[in-house]
Amino acid sequence: MRRALTCALAAVALLAGCTAGEEEAKGSDPNALHVLASSELSDMEPILERVGADLGVPVELSYVGTLDAVDRLAKGKADGRFDAVWLSSNDYLRLRPEAARKIVSETTVMASPVALGVKPATLRELGWNPADVTWSQVEKAVADGKLTYGMTDPSRSNSGFSTLISVASALSGAQSALTDADIAEATPRLKEFFQGQKLTSGSSGWLATAYRRRGNVDALLNYESVLKGIPGLTVIRPRDGVVTADYPLSTLASADATDRDTVRRLGEALRSPEIQREITERTHRRPVVAGVAPAAGLDTSRRRELPFPGSRSVADGLLDSYENELRRPSRTVYVLDTSGSMEGERLDGLKAALTDLTGDFREREEVTLMPFGSDVKSVRTHVVDPADPRSGLDAIKKDTAGLEADGDTAVYTSLEKAYGELGADEDTFTSIVLMTDGENTAGADADEFDDFYERLDGTARQIPVFPILFGDSDRSELEHIADLTGGRLFDAQQGSLDGAFEEIRGYQ
Amino acid sequence: MSLAAAGPSWLIAQFPAPLGALQHRGRCDIPRSPIPTGNVSFREHSPPVRRIIGIVLAILLVGGVVVAVVAGRTDGDAGTATKTVQGVIGSEKAEFFADPDVVKALAAKGYTVKAETSGSWAMEGLDLKGYDFALPSSQAPAVELAQKYKVRGTLPRPFYSPLVVVAHRSAAEVLAGNGLATLDGRSRGTLDMGAYLDAARAGRTWQQLKGAGKYGELGGTLYISSTDPESSNSGALYLAATSYVANGGKVVASDADVARTAPLLKKLVSVQGTQQTSTDASFRDFVSGVGNPLVLVYESQVASLLAGGQQPGDLVVLYPDTTVNSDHTVVPLTENGRALAELLSSDPELRRLLVRHGFRPQGAATAFGSADAHLKQELTGVRQAPVPTSAVLHELARRATGDDK
Repeated sequence: MRRALTCALAAVALLAGCTAGEEEAKGSDPNALHVLASSELSDMEPILERVGADLGVPVELSYVGTLDAVDRLAKGKADGRFDAVWLSSNDYLRLRPEAARKIVSETTVMASPVALGVKPATLRELGWNPADVTWSQVEKAVADGKLTYGMTDPSRSNSGFSTLISVASALSGAQSALTDADIAEATPRLKEFFQGQKLTSGSSGWLATAYRRRGNVDALLNYESVLKGIPGLTVIRPRDGVVTADYPLSTLASADATDRDTVRRLGEALRSPEIQREITERTHRRPVVAGVAPAAGLDTSRRRELPFPGSRSVADGLLDSYENELRRPSRTVYVLDTSGSMEGERLDGLKAALTDLTGDFREREEVTLMPFGSDVKSVRTHVVDPADPRSGLDAIKKDTAGLEADGDTAVYTSLEKAYGELGADEDTFTSIVLMTDGENTAGADADEFDDFYERLDGTARQIPVFPILFGDSDRSELEHIADLTGGRLFDAQQGSLDGAFEEIRGYQ
Repeated sequence: MSLAAAGPSWLIAQFPAPLGALQHRGRCDIPRSPIPTGNVSFREHSPPVRRIIGIVLAILLVGGVVVAVVAGRTDGDAGTATKTVQGVIGSEKAEFFADPDVVKALAAKGYTVKAETSGSWAMEGLDLKGYDFALPSSQAPAVELAQKYKVRGTLPRPFYSPLVVVAHRSAAEVLAGNGLATLDGRSRGTLDMGAYLDAARAGRTWQQLKGAGKYGELGGTLYISSTDPESSNSGALYLAATSYVANGGKVVASDADVARTAPLLKKLVSVQGTQQTSTDASFRDFVSGVGNPLVLVYESQVASLLAGGQQPGDLVVLYPDTTVNSDHTVVPLTENGRALAELLSSDPELRRLLVRHGFRPQGAATAFGSADAHLKQELTGVRQAPVPTSAVLHELARRATGDDK
């Protein structure tokens, strides 16, 4: 548990990335209840602290994305490590029988539907009445170039996944659960819809931060609870239907009788009217207990609930076409430290992590490798061509294998050159990943980079740098780069390089 | 719920079970089985099928021993010390056993009950050594457990609860306006299962019903949300009720019956997409104002909510004109467990408290739902569909869910 706790603290203090690793849980406090949880539940911590104190059992959450959690359950990796799983929804979990089998009972705790949060100015321009907006209207506004939005990555975030299902169901015109045929038919419309997506994120928290910073995105798609927490958005639940998260606290079969009973008592406590009231007031989620009214501002008119696909092939097929076909492709420069200090284990680790990552690149994606030492050593760009994805991926692997460690560490000069590589491009999600194992020792210094960044034009300034803390790199230096460019720091000192690269995928 | 592992353990074994109904004949590797081998040809079968036969055999065994076992009474000696009775119960009964009045009533008879909750089907996976009783929410898992722990005699079923459909008033009124339901006051009504199944067969949408247009939430295919029939009791019982209606008011028994009803059942299930695995979850979604407009739940869930004094909003309870009951069944593992079962069946105070928690005690009519306009006091006009045999119901569930997960 110690690592998870460190991560939780790091996340609060530094907005550092952190995924629940392999070795956490059943650590610091053997009496604590260990729960594998959706990261969206971090807003429940103050409530859990109090409920845990009342029960006499601390509740420790380890955060993980839904798909990741389901995969771990299915592979038996949660057995003995966790007592319960608490995700935004168990819909996807149910499609994997080997994961569903690990759960003995579920307690629905609260609910939040997918919604659209729009800037009031945009709402006025569009002439919308928030109570009557449909997904088709949203689609039309996007097609007319009158609406842009941000949403989280469906492969990494439950809110993104639910959004994708809501949009696909509504735009396909399907009257019941989505089928492969519905998706195929809706593909042209969906493609157009996702042209409006100007912001992607691996987490709801960073999505909100990036939205505020960018200032030129008109709307966000996320759970109502998340949108209600962002000042200045008018929250709309489209009339033609939404998917709702119902947060089932789920007991694991592998937990012992005492822990199972504690999970039951926790579920019971969370459903007491008093706590339900606190949940809705604090987190803007809807209570599931009759007699407790939703917090002020949560509109109680009903919406059609769009069914979640009943088969894994449909759900996975939709995800796959989102990543490889529907969404705008990503364009990334990997600025990779191959200075002398990387020699040996570190360079081997980097090569292994990059090679692994090639399995995750999407079709149409553009990847530039920019290794540096005293200066940039080479610039090689590869595209994953849908007609022949192999050759692009093989080329990335080949370049990776050829990386050699020598020279000093010219972090800022190399970053400046990365910005130079990325012109203004409205049709891709553009970003820079910076991996360094040490402090800047050559070329431009931090102040010079700040000046350089200030002089960039508006479009280039929207390109975030995602630095990875690794080896002996300096946290404050990298944090400054992330803050300046609107990126986010990822920690491979606490976690692994593979984990950091993998987590950044959600932001590309 | 982790029921996939438990295979067809939810299945209701009908007695006498027609073994040949589906030509499921298998090598019977269950010891001490006095199976009439007659014309059965032996062939290797997958474990689930063997298990079904196991259940059927258990029923034959249990059914053969027609002995009414009456537990040793403890009347009159409600003295100082109470006996602790330990059990595992379905979660929907946790509130009942935790109710201070129930604790008091049990103590007055000399008992303290310590109950751990578990999904009815997950009980099979627990080690019940040292426990006095198990109390799952229907007969089938109870029969499984009785077999596993070699419990003889009739399993007591002290109380039950029928499956009902909850709706918000908007949906209930649209159904009534289109001949799919009749309302008896503002908060209660009867669902015409025949008409509902016709609508489902035709793939009718809410938009096609008169009067639905003014309610934004009434859109898409008209269907009742039920739980996963392969893992959850109520979902399986839903198929029992609908297959009975679809089969012209006859319990589905033959291959021809299965072939006739399966396509409709598949439709009822597939339109729903992913299904919940517990009725608690579906009911909570409903209460929170999200989810499908029509949800299949146990009457006890509604009754318990009402009895708790909670505001039900514009909830309408629709009793399907053909439904199935959930029979809460005790598996006594010790004499103390048996005594508890007897108390639950006969003690007037405990029976009164069962009603408070929404359950209907077996036997003599205890006032039920008298004060509330949502519930039917008597289940008149509600037909109880017989449940098909385990093998048949399993086959229906398999066909309804398809194998495309």
